[in-house]
Amino acid sequence: MSGLFIAVLPVSILIGGAFLIYLVSRFFQLSNRFESLLTVLVLIGTLVALIFLYNQIPDLAGRPDAFFGLSTPGGILWKPNALGVFILIIATVIGILISVFSGEYLSRDPRYLVYYPLVLLTLAGLMSMFLSNDLFNLFLLTEMTTIAASSLIAFQYQHENAIKASFKYLIMSSLGTMIMLLGIYFVYRSTGEMHLDRVLASPDNFTRIGAACFLMGFSLKAGVVPLHTWVPDVYGNAPSAVSGLLAGVLSKSMLFIVPVICLRLGMTRVELGTYLMVFACFNMLVGSIRMLKQHLLRRFLSFSSIAQTGYLMFGLGIGFYYNLDQGLSAGLYLFLVIAVMKCLAFLSAGIFQFYSGSQDIESLRGAGNRMPITAFCFSVALAGLAGIPLLAGFTGKWMIFSASLAAGDLFSVICLGIFMVSTLIGLAGYLPILVKQYQPPTKAGIFLNPAERAPRVSRWMLAPVTLLAILVLFIGIFPAPWINLVEQVMGWMLI
Amino acid sequence: MKSYEILLPGITVLPIIGVVVLLIWRKATKKQAATIGILCEAFALIIPIILLAALRREGSILFTLPWIPNMQISFSLELSWLSLIFLLTEVLVTLTAMIYSLGETTGEKYSNYYYALLLLFSLGMSGTTLADDVFLFYIFWELMLIASVLLILIWGHGEIRFKVALKYFIVTHLGSLMVLVSLITLYVNFGTASLSALILQASTLPVNMQVFLILFFIIGFSVKMAIFPLHIWLPDAHTVAPMPVTIILAAAMLSMGTYGILRFPFALFPLESIQPFALWMMLAGLISEVYGALIALAEKDIKRIIAYSSVSQMGYILFGLGTLTARGMQGSILHVVYHAIVKALLFMVVGIVISMTGERDIRKISGLGSKFPILCVCAAIGVLGISGMPPLGIFNSEWLIFGGGFDSGVSIVLTVMTLIGSLLTVVYALRFFGLIFIGEPKPEALPVKTTRALIIPTVAVAVFLIVEGLAPAPLMSWAIRGLTSIFGSFQ
Repeated sequence: MSGLFIAVLPVSILIGGAFLIYLVSRFFQLSNRFESLLTVLVLIGTLVALIFLYNQIPDLAGRPDAFFGLSTPGGILWKPNALGVFILIIATVIGILISVFSGEYLSRDPRYLVYYPLVLLTLAGLMSMFLSNDLFNLFLLTEMTTIAASSLIAFQYQHENAIKASFKYLIMSSLGTMIMLLGIYFVYRSTGEMHLDRVLASPDNFTRIGAACFLMGFSLKAGVVPLHTWVPDVYGNAPSAVSGLLAGVLSKSMLFIVPVICLRLGMTRVELGTYLMVFACFNMLVGSIRMLKQHLLRRFLSFSSIAQTGYLMFGLGIGFYYNLDQGLSAGLYLFLVIAVMKCLAFLSAGIFQFYSGSQDIESLRGAGNRMPITAFCFSVALAGLAGIPLLAGFTGKWMIFSASLAAGDLFSVICLGIFMVSTLIGLAGYLPILVKQYQPPTKAGIFLNPAERAPRVSRWMLAPVTLLAILVLFIGIFPAPWINLVEQVMGWMLI
Repeated sequence: MKSYEILLPGITVLPIIGVVVLLIWRKATKKQAATIGILCEAFALIIPIILLAALRREGSILFTLPWIPNMQISFSLELSWLSLIFLLTEVLVTLTAMIYSLGETTGEKYSNYYYALLLLFSLGMSGTTLADDVFLFYIFWELMLIASVLLILIWGHGEIRFKVALKYFIVTHLGSLMVLVSLITLYVNFGTASLSALILQASTLPVNMQVFLILFFIIGFSVKMAIFPLHIWLPDAHTVAPMPVTIILAAAMLSMGTYGILRFPFALFPLESIQPFALWMMLAGLISEVYGALIALAEKDIKRIIAYSSVSQMGYILFGLGTLTARGMQGSILHVVYHAIVKALLFMVVGIVISMTGERDIRKISGLGSKFPILCVCAAIGVLGISGMPPLGIFNSEWLIFGGGFDSGVSIVLTVMTLIGSLLTVVYALRFFGLIFIGEPKPEALPVKTTRALIIPTVAVAVFLIVEGLAPAPLMSWAIRGLTSIFGSFQ
């Protein structure tokens, strides 16, 4: 099979599937559940194609035909790498789970027809961003992701806040892509090239300015403080499943495109590392401190997400600044576990909101009795995020600690101190919410009346949540294979 | 691998099996759940006793399984003389608490979860004593904390328990984080998580680093020991927890801090590096001793009186460790064991008093002695024990600790002050006994008899205290062997 075909297959399945699903569902008037199942099928196809691609990468690396359109000037240049495919596999798995989840979650919404194609298009955009190897395509695909994602965020348009959030996201993201466009201008002006591998050969000051522009654009999309203001609004008002996808994978994965591009455009590792570590501190502090005062569950999770972006950046920053592989693998491992735990947290929060009709943290009271499985899974997510041993988060915490202590100079130790403060504040944030589920209810709410029958949580929602919770426990107890995997792919971040 | 080595992980696996059974068997009555819990715990007690012969022959027993090979982390357990003492103390205390729970109302709701969590709590502590891998050590160390927090959260008294549990968790976790930093510094520097490998190499670290690590270890473990001013979690947690959990917290969990200090800074680094901290440890011990005793004297809640007495008693232990002499450290180890027994006894007495009178205010209770002679005798033994009356155990350990104080190079003024401070213990202990058991019977309406299920374990513990006090020889020789394995043959 030609390398070209293998490289394009996953994205083709996604985009083709998106249109096909819409047409088929429209034509046959399919129900929401049926459409969600079709989406799952498409995503499973994508997953298989991605795994196949992952196995082919050592072969593809030596063959020029993996470059789609290399021969034509200004053509589309694609080059799959193991890191990108690894992240895309995680994204696809999360995508499958949220599609199943949406099979019940969207049952009250008449416009489900466009929802699944939009999810697929968002994933397709993400996928192409990681596979493309030239700046112009990268720009286009980033825009495509942004547009698909912002229509998903505004999906529950009955709520005024959803529209506002989507608008905010659209404006800020466009600002980010605009800055990236500026960066492309600088690079093209200086080198006359968009092809990343060729730019690599001749970096100068203009390409470095370009690198800075890209860094800023992607920082915005990843929610790096002080460009994080869209995060709480978006995650708090988008449908829960979408928040799970965005917070778990989409925004955090942007941090892994950054080094691939910036290092090629002539930014040094130390510069990149300094940037990541300094802003990681802001993220950790702002995220964890603001998390404490939230009243709405998903807003709370958004701020914790900002803090976790900081942890990721901290790991990567150590990796680049000190040239330590431990730091890079810590960052990548954290990405994996945070994707799982964050998605779990948002999906469980979605279940609570679906049945209680309220996002208020106070309305969680009594959930432990009325929805025991969901409450347990949510507790696993919170405890995992807090870094309790034997859950997935702890190994990540251990790796971050060991990376920064291995670096061992004042800078890294100060950052480590901030990390410790942040995790400690995090504990004070997560635990009361965890406990709240098991406290007796005091205010009015669906969980108040014990005589009323407890809502029976749909299996469509319970299945993905349970699966994720098991995964959190499993990764926590047997981290060895996952760390192996991470160490295999991490080298691709260093050009 | 030798055949008896396979027994060692049994100490950790048996409770896990018990937990799984209890989680599956949701309909278990309290008696059934207790049976499973007690059986698992009893087996965990038998295994080290079976291994005693091998231990005498080998000096230490090691069990290793690879776990995360790419991070040099393995599942390895080591039974040594030092860990044996702490392990037996902890398992015996848990066993007592489990039996005591049967006579109490605690755990009638969700009894399967209650006993499962008690097993996990005990597993955390036995794992902490056995772990020979710093990663594993930390996991067990946190398991201990999480299980106890959950026990307080679910079965604690009053709405305040949510806040108390949170405070307990966060303050203790702060200590754990300091320990974690030191553990990972060691792990990163030597590229291995195995504790026995680290012990061989750690003294090659630069001196500054050693000082920093020792400081972090001692402060981190002092939080668990509840040394003043790091004790702020203790009184609330002890008061709010149900009585069996309080017994385990006070009698067993506090001593894990002592074990940590012996196992990490003392075992890893040469004595010269610890020397600068000796004076400060003794001083902190003295302050803690006096402070705990003074507050215990002023408290009106009978459970809090005994809780503050823990702060005071932990002060003796830190003082003994700080002397850095063989005698002082031996005294500290003995004190851990005796304190566990005495504290368990006193809390059991307090539990019975509370369950009979329904009161916790010491001003509203008096004259129970004439009505309940057996309880009164048990209380008297406990009170005399904690005041250091010969031949009850604490006399032996305090003798050694003060001896160590005089042996150490530090000015004897400190030791004399500690000796005088110990008088305060006598004062609050006698006040406790006098107000509750002597005088006009109060409150009026009292049950005729004490619950048999509560009084039998109490009497057993009292008898055990006398026996241990009269025959301290085996314990002393174990303590000496444990210390020799750490320090070589030093005197």
